[in-house]
Amino acid sequence: MENKCENLSLYIIDQLSEHEKEQFKRHLKTCAHCQNELESLQETWQTLSYDMEEVDAPDSLKMEVMDFIFKEDKTEKAKKESPLYPIKLFLTKHFSPLSAGMTAILIISFTGLLWYNLHLKDTITALEDEMASPTQIVRTFNLKGQDTAASANGTAYLLQEGHDNSLIIELNNMPGTKDDEVYQVWLLNNGNRQNAGTIKPDQNGNGLITYRMPKDQSFDDIGITLEPNPNNTQPKGRKVMGTI
Amino acid sequence: MKNKSDEELVKLIVQNHRPALEELYDRYINLIYSFSLKMTKGDTEKTKEIVQLVFLRLWTTKRTYSASQGKFANWILTITRNIAIDLIRKEHKHKGTVQLDHNEWEKIQGQQSEHVLQEVSNNLLKQQIQEAKHQLSEPQKRLINLLYWEGYSLSEIAQLEEKPLGTIKSRLNQTLKKLRNYFSEETGGVRHGK
Repeated sequence: MENKCENLSLYIIDQLSEHEKEQFKRHLKTCAHCQNELESLQETWQTLSYDMEEVDAPDSLKMEVMDFIFKEDKTEKAKKESPLYPIKLFLTKHFSPLSAGMTAILIISFTGLLWYNLHLKDTITALEDEMASPTQIVRTFNLKGQDTAASANGTAYLLQEGHDNSLIIELNNMPGTKDDEVYQVWLLNNGNRQNAGTIKPDQNGNGLITYRMPKDQSFDDIGITLEPNPNNTQPKGRKVMGTI
Repeated sequence: MKNKSDEELVKLIVQNHRPALEELYDRYINLIYSFSLKMTKGDTEKTKEIVQLVFLRLWTTKRTYSASQGKFANWILTITRNIAIDLIRKEHKHKGTVQLDHNEWEKIQGQQSEHVLQEVSNNLLKQQIQEAKHQLSEPQKRLINLLYWEGYSLSEIAQLEEKPLGTIKSRLNQTLKKLRNYFSEETGGVRHGK
């Protein structure tokens, strides 16, 4: 206790470290001796300030002091009038320039990441939808050539993709076509023929066609004719291939 | 403004009331100026700097003063002294030394004694201090001067005096008590009302 009382004068002249000051304040609460001494010694210390010769300040000083204060203040006010000032003030109050920079980078990265994530989520959803309705081969047709295309053969696949049906026809060893000649695919349903596209085979006689089936269309057989020109609604040329 | 108390003026300053600041300036500028002039050993440029900083702090920090904290003059002088010491200590650091040789010390003492003789003042408080200082020993006077007016820390003074810190601490205790006892004798003691 005695030891702590020694710090009284250092407390009064404000030469204790923050830690020592806190310690002394706690001591002061319990020490009647220090409490009694504190006020009169503090007053004594403050009285020392009157040990000076009192002189009049120069008249010009007032203007200089006021200018010093209110010029500073004006620039402060100008800053405050800027619409961004509250944000700036908030940022400068809460963040150092370094941490503000880092925060900005983090916010930008976060936003970017968020956008990327949302985008990714959409993609995944789309993929999931597709996976939920995988493409299935519903029926397979074997095609055999006849007449001028006796060497040709092929396969047709009826695909179901969700609610959509499509037909893929793959042909091999097709004799080449001349000029406007095309092979035309027909879907046969109870004697009715429906155009399903045209094929021009490549140099090796291979051809491939994808036909998206309109809803509710069905067929029993596939026939392929060699047509003198494309886009006929009814076959004009000879049948050269068909389902077996 | 003239009728307002110091406390009321400080409250108005907190609300950015410029005339209140000017009124406080008018009331206390001579005190603050004289005090700063002594702290800077008569350097009027540095004194101006200190005065500007004191009023700037008053205007910007919005620390409120209440009469329960003691006399306003003491409050404002504590602020002034802190600002002045900051300035002085920066210079000490700049010079890189706290050493003051004995001849220089005696020169300062000499100037001050002359000052004391020249002073003719009705300020009772000042007279009291002058008288009280006569009660002090030379080392005690030196301590108060270095500590209060020159802004040296106790350990720096221990270095200057080439004495252990403990000796300087107990010297401070004795000095403060001696002064206190003299003041209380003057105001409330046997000599009161003489």
